Amino acid sequence: MKVDRENLHSKIEEMKKNGYDYLVKITAVDYIKSVQLIYILRNTSALKDEVLEVDLDPSDLYVHTIMNYYKAADWYERELAEMFGVEIKGRKAKRLILAKWDGRGYPLRKNFAWNEPYEKRE
Amino acid sequence: MALTRINIGPVHPSTHGVLRLVVDLDGDTVVDVDTRIGFLHRGVEKLVENRKYMQCPPYMEKLDYAAPLSVDELFVATVEKALGIEVKERAQYIRVVLLELQRIASHLLWLGTTCNDLGQLTTGFMWAFMDRDLVLRLLEEATGSRMFYVNMRLGGLVRDLPAGFDEHANKLLDYLEKRLPRYERFIEKNPVFIERMKGVGILSKEDALDLGVTGQILRASGVDYDVRKDNTYYVYNKLHFSSKHAVSGDNFARYKVRMMEIGESIRLVREALRTMPEGDAVGMPVKLVMPNAKNRISIVSREVPRGEELMYLVADPQSAYRLSIRAPTFINLAALRHIARGCRIADLFAITSTLDFIMADVDR
Repeated sequence: MKVDRENLHSKIEEMKKNGYDYLVKITAVDYIKSVQLIYILRNTSALKDEVLEVDLDPSDLYVHTIMNYYKAADWYERELAEMFGVEIKGRKAKRLILAKWDGRGYPLRKNFAWNEPYEKRE
Repeated sequence: MALTRINIGPVHPSTHGVLRLVVDLDGDTVVDVDTRIGFLHRGVEKLVENRKYMQCPPYMEKLDYAAPLSVDELFVATVEKALGIEVKERAQYIRVVLLELQRIASHLLWLGTTCNDLGQLTTGFMWAFMDRDLVLRLLEEATGSRMFYVNMRLGGLVRDLPAGFDEHANKLLDYLEKRLPRYERFIEKNPVFIERMKGVGILSKEDALDLGVTGQILRASGVDYDVRKDNTYYVYNKLHFSSKHAVSGDNFARYKVRMMEIGESIRLVREALRTMPEGDAVGMPVKLVMPNAKNRISIVSREVPRGEELMYLVADPQSAYRLSIRAPTFINLAALRHIARGCRIADLFAITSTLDFIMADVDR
């Protein structure tokens, strides 16, 4: 299901009210023209999964945190920020957790350069 | 209030890999735990983007090295879905047999290391590792390798089960069935073990759902969600088993759920071996050019020994455009901070033990 960034919170709030009480995964795919964020939510009593897709413009990469709905979002969002350079607004913890790459580019983006010498990110 | 800050790890015998914990203590009560991961990050998700599909299973196996077959199977199943390949019926049964044997081996490894963490290095650890080795020998008989199997092929397996496997498997399962009550008598009557298990590290049902924990940790908190039953795959719906859960959500419940699961797995292997149809189980040979992918996006999840592992694959014709892995241990470890607050520092390792994480899987 495609969702706009502006409607993401209201959509998640509505789904949580409808029994989607479990966050399975937050991830992203870099389609070059857009970066797509993927939220997989689950209704554990009706045993249904729902995939929310949020398309973002690579020049304007930010999204608001959903930690107020699911605490599980914590590490997923940090991973997202680190690997895709998506700015997560509204949360304090910003330390890198996985690759700890602070050079140019973001590791899971398609434009990440493998062989360029290390230069610290501004 | 003056807090004491101590650092544990990254290299520590009880962290099961390279994990660093920064613990704030008031006396010996844990006020906060800062979990630092990433020491074992290999960038597997990026690596597979530059390889053909069937070059990837060896990387996948190194994710959860205590249950490599399960992750291998999940990856191959994801690729099968992307390529639109059906798995042969006999191969489905054999996969179930191997996966459940892998689950037994993995739970026994967990039992051994937990006994180790709780100060029973000589007996508990040695018993569990001895028994695990017998299961590994059986897996070696079926796959040709003791630890990293790479035994899955698209649509089937590398080879069928060898002659005499049924007999050997049933003999081992009989033995394990006799061993389980011995473990329980030995462990559950030990006051040291019970003291650090019962009522320690409680995770309520609401918190378990909110924190997104999975596998035995979720089931020990009273949420009976098992992918094998609730989002079934292969022939699990034809076999008779129940997913095990508990309600108390403490260390002891997590221990108990795992022990009950070993019993269920034994029954599953027996039944799958008995009802297995004749036929061909060998999958497609690995060639440089495989069939082109039909589905752009495939989402597959499996109940691996440590919980629900999920793969999100965006497929190019011959290789992965993007593979995202939901590692069960990653999200289980994220819950440590919440569970450990308020416990004693000595109980911290009882809790990390029952969370059963593999750092290679956490860091990917």
